Amino acid sequence: MEMAIDTPSPAPPTPPTPSAAAGRQTRAAESVRLEHQLVRVPLEALRSTVRSNNRLAEKEIAAALSSASAAPAESSAAAVDHLTSLVSRLHGLKRKMEEGARAEEVQVQRCRARLDRLASASTGEDAEWEDMRLKRILVDYMLRMSYYDSATKLAETSGIQDLVDIDVFLDAKRVIDSLQNNEVAPALAWCAENKSRLKKSKSKLEFLLRLQEFVEFVKAKNCIQAIAYARKYLAPWGSIHMKELQRVTATLVFRSNTNCAPYKILFEQDRWDFLVDMFKQDFCKLYGMTLEPLLNIYLQAGLTALKTPLCSEGSCPKEDPLSLEGFRKLAEPLPFSKQHHSKLVCYITKELMDTENPPRVLPNGYVYSEKALQEMAKKNDGKITCPRTGEVCDFSECVRAFIS
Amino acid sequence: MEIDSLREGFDRVAEKRASSSAKALEAVDHIVNEVEQAIVKLQMMNTDSTGNVDHTAILAELKAKLNEMAPINQLEGSQKELNIALSKYLKLLEKSFNPDISKAYRNVDFEVHTVNNIIANHFYRQGLFDLGDMFVRECGESGGASLKLPFQEMYSILEAMKARNLEPALSWAANNHDQLLQNGSMLEFKLYQLQFVEILSKGSRDGSKDEAIQYARTHLVPFASVHKEEFQKLMACLLWVGRLDQSPYSELMSSAHWDKLAEELTHQFCSLLGQSRESPLSVAVSAGFQGLPTLLKLTQVMAAKKQEWQVMKQLPVPIDIGPEFQYHSVFVCPVLREQSSDENPPMRMPCGHVVSKQSIMKLSKSSSRPFKCPYCPSEAVASHCKQLHF
Repeated sequence: MEMAIDTPSPAPPTPPTPSAAAGRQTRAAESVRLEHQLVRVPLEALRSTVRSNNRLAEKEIAAALSSASAAPAESSAAAVDHLTSLVSRLHGLKRKMEEGARAEEVQVQRCRARLDRLASASTGEDAEWEDMRLKRILVDYMLRMSYYDSATKLAETSGIQDLVDIDVFLDAKRVIDSLQNNEVAPALAWCAENKSRLKKSKSKLEFLLRLQEFVEFVKAKNCIQAIAYARKYLAPWGSIHMKELQRVTATLVFRSNTNCAPYKILFEQDRWDFLVDMFKQDFCKLYGMTLEPLLNIYLQAGLTALKTPLCSEGSCPKEDPLSLEGFRKLAEPLPFSKQHHSKLVCYITKELMDTENPPRVLPNGYVYSEKALQEMAKKNDGKITCPRTGEVCDFSECVRAFIS
Repeated sequence: MEIDSLREGFDRVAEKRASSSAKALEAVDHIVNEVEQAIVKLQMMNTDSTGNVDHTAILAELKAKLNEMAPINQLEGSQKELNIALSKYLKLLEKSFNPDISKAYRNVDFEVHTVNNIIANHFYRQGLFDLGDMFVRECGESGGASLKLPFQEMYSILEAMKARNLEPALSWAANNHDQLLQNGSMLEFKLYQLQFVEILSKGSRDGSKDEAIQYARTHLVPFASVHKEEFQKLMACLLWVGRLDQSPYSELMSSAHWDKLAEELTHQFCSLLGQSRESPLSVAVSAGFQGLPTLLKLTQVMAAKKQEWQVMKQLPVPIDIGPEFQYHSVFVCPVLREQSSDENPPMRMPCGHVVSKQSIMKLSKSSSRPFKCPYCPSEAVASHCKQLHF
């Protein structure tokens, strides 16, 4: 490396470092920008409620209109009966719509609560805020892992129901449970509810569900029905997924215990687990969630930031999460962080040594913070005992070291 | 990020939603109204036998009126407005937030049971025992339960302290007398001190004085030589029995002492257990929140080299996280811009400036020839530079 060390510049001015508080604030503002999921999910939930309420209203109103114009004309009494029953039906519709509007209102409140939560974060260092944030992330993790009871309990005991998406995940649970019971109906209903948006994101889920149903007919040796089913539900996908369609329809000539590899896997039970995964993916996409649990994402980032070669040494202080086996295991496949500037931590006080608490060197070359040494000298008549070597010296023998 | 503009955007959504749902209800009301009017007319026709109105005409009129109203079109109009507000707000969200925070995620398997054990441990050390038990049951991991009992003891001590009962804390401190001393902690003495002040500030004058003296004899005397100053202060408090609040030592009664001592106890308890003071999960996740923005920027820059990102052993740039996450001393030689190592340790020149050993060898060219410090005008000789240990 070419270095201009022969003509060193005179004491380079230390770059003006932004004050620690300012750094903290920018960092806090940056971390708030990560909270997309917090505001997005309730909005998507609101959107879907609004959509299904609208659909209901439109359908029922159209039905009412055609019913009104189809009133029997034979006698006025029959017309009155017909119209009276129409009125009571409309009253029923109104009640349903009012109920729907209340559900929307709850979701509007939830969206607001999330914005309020973020607004209260701007100050930076706030242990309570950070604790709540961790709890939210843990609830998210538990919901994704299907630990619903623990998720609900944590949300309730910490009063953060408005900040987590339990209902959204419970909706997904219905579909996941049914898929695990080898039923496709609820999943298909979910696809129908979100048809246009799934189409926009080029989702294959519905096609895969249909394929699975087809294979189930073949498994049951019900080939006639399988063919009829394929005509009705698989053929429309032909233009986009021809290859897969061909492969799956070829199962017609095999038994479910075939050893022919490309078809054997189609008959296997773990195709249902695959469908669960596919559903989870589409579900997350639809609600604007990350595919991975938030906890994994933040843990990975945190461990990357914390990981240094020094962490794997025996002297790693226990305050460092990477001193623990579990965290080390998780961090193993992650890269080390990099440091451009010296950062010195006092062995005694574990505080960062800087201009306010500068490092001082004992005659044996060991370095401790001025604060720690002053404290020790005060207690021991000016004598310093090196905690690592046991050597004793006088405080006045400890000299400054300048680290840039 | 402008929370206010987000709020404005969402207010528009909420407003359009309300008006859309009101319009839908209104449309239903109108239809009901028209139909009911038609019913009334039909019924009137029955009683009114003049017969100049035909019931088919009434039905035709109803049909025409409903058609004219075109309620479906009205609904669609207000829904469209709502959809516009929604998509505007969604765009604003995309702009104000990082829409995909998983971009920097490395596709590695996070072993589920390792993560679950970490979470179970976290719940127990935060004192959430019921939740911890439920979680352990639900996820079927039991490795995290080892922290349950010790932390149950700690939280019962802290609970008692909250109820102004120091007994459990004192007995714990007495049982761990030696280790506390080794840690240089004054916890035990401070607990006795708190109890002593508590006796002094409570009860009648004479009774509590005797009790306090008795207490000081048994519990405070053993500490008298080590904590001379504090001990004297406490003895002087005896002069103000029953009215300690008016004494120069009233500060000793402050409830802040209780909070501080609870904190110190938590600290020492964790330390003796070999545990960190903060939950490691909290620490790692907080570091993640601080570090992720930089990682995301980095992946953006490296977008073309996605493969490289997935396998690199060390990040190319530093991640700026708070000083509270610095657990290790790192020395980066300001001349070579390289982190020091056993082979290339930090050296202090006589002027006090520190560079790496290799830099000194390059600067000096021989161990006896003087060279100029790169940071100040003084000269140094390599053999006079001293290796440092941080």
